[in-house]
Amino acid sequence: MNVLNIALFEIKKDLRDKRTLIFMLAFPIVLILILGTALTNAFNSGAELGDMHLLVKNTAQSQQLQSYWNGFAQAISKEGVELTPAADGMDGKKAVQDNQYTAYAEIDDNGIHFYGSSRETISSNIIQGMLTSFADKYSLAAAALKNNPEAADAIIAWETSASSFIQETSLDPDRKPGSIDYYAIVESTMIALYACMSASWLIRGEVKRKTALRLAAAPVGKMEIFAGKVIASTIINFLCILTVVLFSKYVFHANWGNHLGSVFLLLFTEVLLAVSFGLGIAFLFKDDAVNAVMTIFVQLASMFGGAYFPVDEASGVFGGIANASPLRWANEALMNLIYNDDLQAVFPVMGLNTAIAAAFLVFVAITMRKREAF
Amino acid sequence: MNVLEIRNLTKKFGDFIAVDNMNLSVREGEIFGFLGANGAGKSTTINMISSLLRITKGDIQLLGRDIVKDNKFTKMNIGIVPQDLAIYEEMTAYENVSFFAGLYGLRGALLKERTEEALEFVGLGDKHKALPKSFSGGMKRRLNIACAIAHHPKLIIMDEPTVGIDPQSRNYILNSVKKLNQMGCSVIYTSHYMEEVEEICTRIAIVDHGKIIAEGTKEQLKSIITDTKETWIGVKNAERLDLDALKQISGVNSVRLEEQTVKIVSRGEINNLNWVIQQLIRDQVEISSVEEQAPNLETVFLTLTGRNLRD
Repeated sequence: MNVLNIALFEIKKDLRDKRTLIFMLAFPIVLILILGTALTNAFNSGAELGDMHLLVKNTAQSQQLQSYWNGFAQAISKEGVELTPAADGMDGKKAVQDNQYTAYAEIDDNGIHFYGSSRETISSNIIQGMLTSFADKYSLAAAALKNNPEAADAIIAWETSASSFIQETSLDPDRKPGSIDYYAIVESTMIALYACMSASWLIRGEVKRKTALRLAAAPVGKMEIFAGKVIASTIINFLCILTVVLFSKYVFHANWGNHLGSVFLLLFTEVLLAVSFGLGIAFLFKDDAVNAVMTIFVQLASMFGGAYFPVDEASGVFGGIANASPLRWANEALMNLIYNDDLQAVFPVMGLNTAIAAAFLVFVAITMRKREAF
Repeated sequence: MNVLEIRNLTKKFGDFIAVDNMNLSVREGEIFGFLGANGAGKSTTINMISSLLRITKGDIQLLGRDIVKDNKFTKMNIGIVPQDLAIYEEMTAYENVSFFAGLYGLRGALLKERTEEALEFVGLGDKHKALPKSFSGGMKRRLNIACAIAHHPKLIIMDEPTVGIDPQSRNYILNSVKKLNQMGCSVIYTSHYMEEVEEICTRIAIVDHGKIIAEGTKEQLKSIITDTKETWIGVKNAERLDLDALKQISGVNSVRLEEQTVKIVSRGEINNLNWVIQQLIRDQVEISSVEEQAPNLETVFLTLTGRNLRD
């Protein structure tokens, strides 16, 4: 009963601590919004292209070529390529160099001569691809015309095959986090780790506030006080994470996948890890050093865990630090769970979190028992 | 009957002996003054009585039961008013008292009744919904007391409960202590204000270097030092005083200057007032008054310990 009373009192007290509460709620939400918006491009596999301008000098005499070219020109103009006939005496290459056009093409009865812009390489490559496709089809049609004119017309059927001048191929799988999705995950795990900060004050705070004296004089066991505080801190911090996750899901429309229960379970074990770690550090180090140790750990774990920017596979010292970050374990497991429906990915991380938490809690419990007062 | 019985109590921190073979008893229904300068060992003793510190040697009995063996029983019957405010600033006065009372097993209607009763007792009944951060120093001190009495302890330990508060709040607290005593509580009271101890305590112990060096009623303690007398001389230009020269005068035990008054403790049988005044004249100090003081607790303390209570 005392454990419950202490836990309820602690929760009520934490809810009154508006500064910490605002930090735990607003900080991750603002980070999701800012980083998720600012780094959108870093998570996109596509690029926006403007209009493509093709300067054309057509001196071909062949009527057949002229006819096919006109059909082709109509088809590609629908795809966003604006064709401009070169005026007499105009230096097409210089016009492209001057950035007036994306590419310049000279067409005569011998073929197509292409000159692309080095400034708009993607656009000029697209036009080049279209022209190559035209040239291939024209060569095929010209060959077919000799034996089967109907087949030649079918080959040069621009209206139906306009979109096939450039074949789109993507190396990315369909399911990949956007920036908001990514930051919703990593900021939630990061703020779960921040629970260690407030947890380091659970006993220390009582000593500083002098209320430890009253608690020690009351007929309550140290373990009851300890248990009540751990329960309260875990619950209140988990509620904060829950709020951040649901806010990001329903307001920012972040993708949390189809296994929300497993997501919450993993985050719960991370909060438990953070709370027990905070308590442990508070008992391991002297008062002044506790905050410093905690801040350095949280910042390094956040940075190398991918809370501020995605961290790819690293090697050496950085790789070692990154792999030691509990955030990295949690983030990778959550990504696998959400984007690959890999439920198995979360169990090892949950087990590891719980085991480390248990080790710290046992250490704190033994130390508390040994100490006089607190 | 003794509420508290301390026998051969010793507390060591490494090689340092904070409490040295102390023997002490507090009787039922008395307000027991526990006097000692900083570092004398009184807080360590109080902390052992409240089970905050482990006993190195000896034993403490509360209401006839050993505090180590019957730890829960003794804790249930002790209320602690610590020297430092031990309250939660972010919780209301009611929540503070209710939380601590709840730790003593009070629940439901009884908890509510006792919480309200404690707050009324210290005059904070109408402030029960207020946060302590909006309280004056005196109100916080009163809340500090309320948190210690809601569970109706038999023995209340008050460690400097009036530090840093205005005279009105001090009077309120002193009256509260007397009222608690009339209601049947025994009180151990420590203070740096000797006049408080003189006003409310029925018996007093003086502790120095971890030992009780004197114990008894005020009258008994004052009778210890009939061989000394104290003279207070009011002066106008105290900066000219040569205190060392005064200390050299025959029969003078100690000299101290408090604002514009020179306080001289001398051996009772020696009449040295003439020499003292001659020295003041030599120092060209202007004398405004001369008073022979009856022995008080402060003189007793000074004589026995060689230092002021506030040292």
